[in-house]
Amino acid sequence: MIGRIRSQAVDTSKFVTDWMEHRTGIVTMMEHFLYEPVPKRGAWLYTLGSATLFTIVLQFLTGILLLFYYVPTTDHAWDSINYIMTEAYFGQMIRGIHYWSANFLLVVIGLHMAQVFFSGGYKAPRELNWVVGVVLLLLVIVLAFTGYLLRWDQDGFWASVVGMKIGSYSPFVGGPTIHFLLGGDVIGPATLSRFFAIHVWLLPAVLAPFIGIHLYLLRRHGVFGNEFEYSDRLAKLHERQRLESYERYEENDGQPYMGRRDRADRNGDEDEE
Amino acid sequence: MAELQKDPITRKDFLSFGILGTITGAILTIPPAAFILGPVIKTDVLGQTDVPSGPDDWHEVGSITEVPVEEPKVFVVDFPVNQIYGDRKIQEESGLSTEEFVVESAIWLSWQHEILEGGEYGQSYRPAFLDDYDGGTLTQAQIEEIQGNLKVLSSSCAHLGCPVRWIVKEGAGEFLCPCHGGIYNINGQYVGGPPPRGMYEYTYEVREDGRIYVRHEFDIEEGLDVQKPYVI
Ligand code: HEM
Ligand code: FES
Repeated sequence: MIGRIRSQAVDTSKFVTDWMEHRTGIVTMMEHFLYEPVPKRGAWLYTLGSATLFTIVLQFLTGILLLFYYVPTTDHAWDSINYIMTEAYFGQMIRGIHYWSANFLLVVIGLHMAQVFFSGGYKAPRELNWVVGVVLLLLVIVLAFTGYLLRWDQDGFWASVVGMKIGSYSPFVGGPTIHFLLGGDVIGPATLSRFFAIHVWLLPAVLAPFIGIHLYLLRRHGVFGNEFEYSDRLAKLHERQRLESYERYEENDGQPYMGRRDRADRNGDEDEE
Repeated sequence: MAELQKDPITRKDFLSFGILGTITGAILTIPPAAFILGPVIKTDVLGQTDVPSGPDDWHEVGSITEVPVEEPKVFVVDFPVNQIYGDRKIQEESGLSTEEFVVESAIWLSWQHEILEGGEYGQSYRPAFLDDYDGGTLTQAQIEEIQGNLKVLSSSCAHLGCPVRWIVKEGAGEFLCPCHGGIYNINGQYVGGPPPRGMYEYTYEVREDGRIYVRHEFDIEEGLDVQKPYVI
């Protein structure tokens, strides 16, 4: 009985999978997306990128949840967060995750970058993915900066004031950029609206496609250092070293090291002719 | 592509395409750009400010008698901000809050002091007649004497805008910024730390009844535009 149900279930799921695969190619796609060979050595370091992605996904999910209660106006922003913290079910948890995951995100993104840097993963043909990664880093930094003002408490308020004043010292662009962020020349209701628009709409919308490009380029070239490429590169390196040492000897005394006897033989042959 | 090459672009095509492209491009980009850059245009190009600071926009700080002889005292003034909450009429009709948004600004008032060598404070320049002044009408000469010696200082540090506070020391004292340790003396002059100048001074006036009024306007040095208090 159990056996029959099991085999029927297997048949059904096989049928559904095949049906979907024929019409959408989803199974091949999933295989393509989900499996990626990474080197055995230091494999854990390769999870840093996924950890970054994970925290960003958390930011999106918890951020969208917070939006159900958060009110972006100067007279209600603080109150609405207070409501989230004191009355909304699991409010402390949702906001806490958004807050802590934002902090972890910046740590993890730094470690991820360090890993890529020290393993030389930014080298050809992966330079563009490094560039895209830097764009992502900058976007995340601005997201963290703009999110902090949304609390509209003394911490967030003054941190943003000082942050913007630091920016205002940049030559030429400083003033206009700060006026753009402030929505005028003092911090006020317009500032909160702008930070809200930037934090919740503009930057997430820009971030998402860049993450897409980052992952596409990753899949295109594979993780740097996967075993195949590693042995490939080693073989190429050895070959180059061999050729170089050969050339060096030839330049030094005109006598190739390995080929000395060969040449002598050949010369002998020529003599005979 | 191949079609285009076989059929070379004429001058007329080129020009009309160029003109049409420019017009379309302008229609697509100018409105959104101007929409979000409005405040930059108003502030940087037209020189407008969000805090009304014209010749009529005086705000009362306090009475001249409230400023102590030997140390500064802080007052709080609410400057209204005309940002996006402009249309108060609609808010009244919809029964919502009609409260204006204000920037609460802390203002330090102090009597100018003589600065001795080594930074100690000498005599205070507080006008002597204030010793037995009880709120009566001041003469023009008295007002001028007060205005020559009263310092009305913004609490916003000239470095990056943290609020400075008065620290009492043996006999003297100083304004200390909590953020990076900027120090100013009782006159608001620069003493030490990262700030590029002394504390910002408000434009103020003293009226006949001995009350002090300020405008949201500062002593910004010409050519040192970066020092402008962008955020106060
Ligand atoms: C990489 C992405 C993001 C980062 C680094 C980030 C960072 C932050 C930070 C640091 C805060 C202040 C939290 C606090 O101090 O309590 C914040 C608040 C907030 N964020 Fe994000 N955020 C991100 C994405 C998002 C997204 C995608 C949304 C919505 C679609 C969102 C919505 C909000 C809201 C509504 C708040 C205000 C509530 C609060 O302060 O707790 N965030 N964010
Ligand atoms: S903000 Fe006052 S010293 Fe930096």
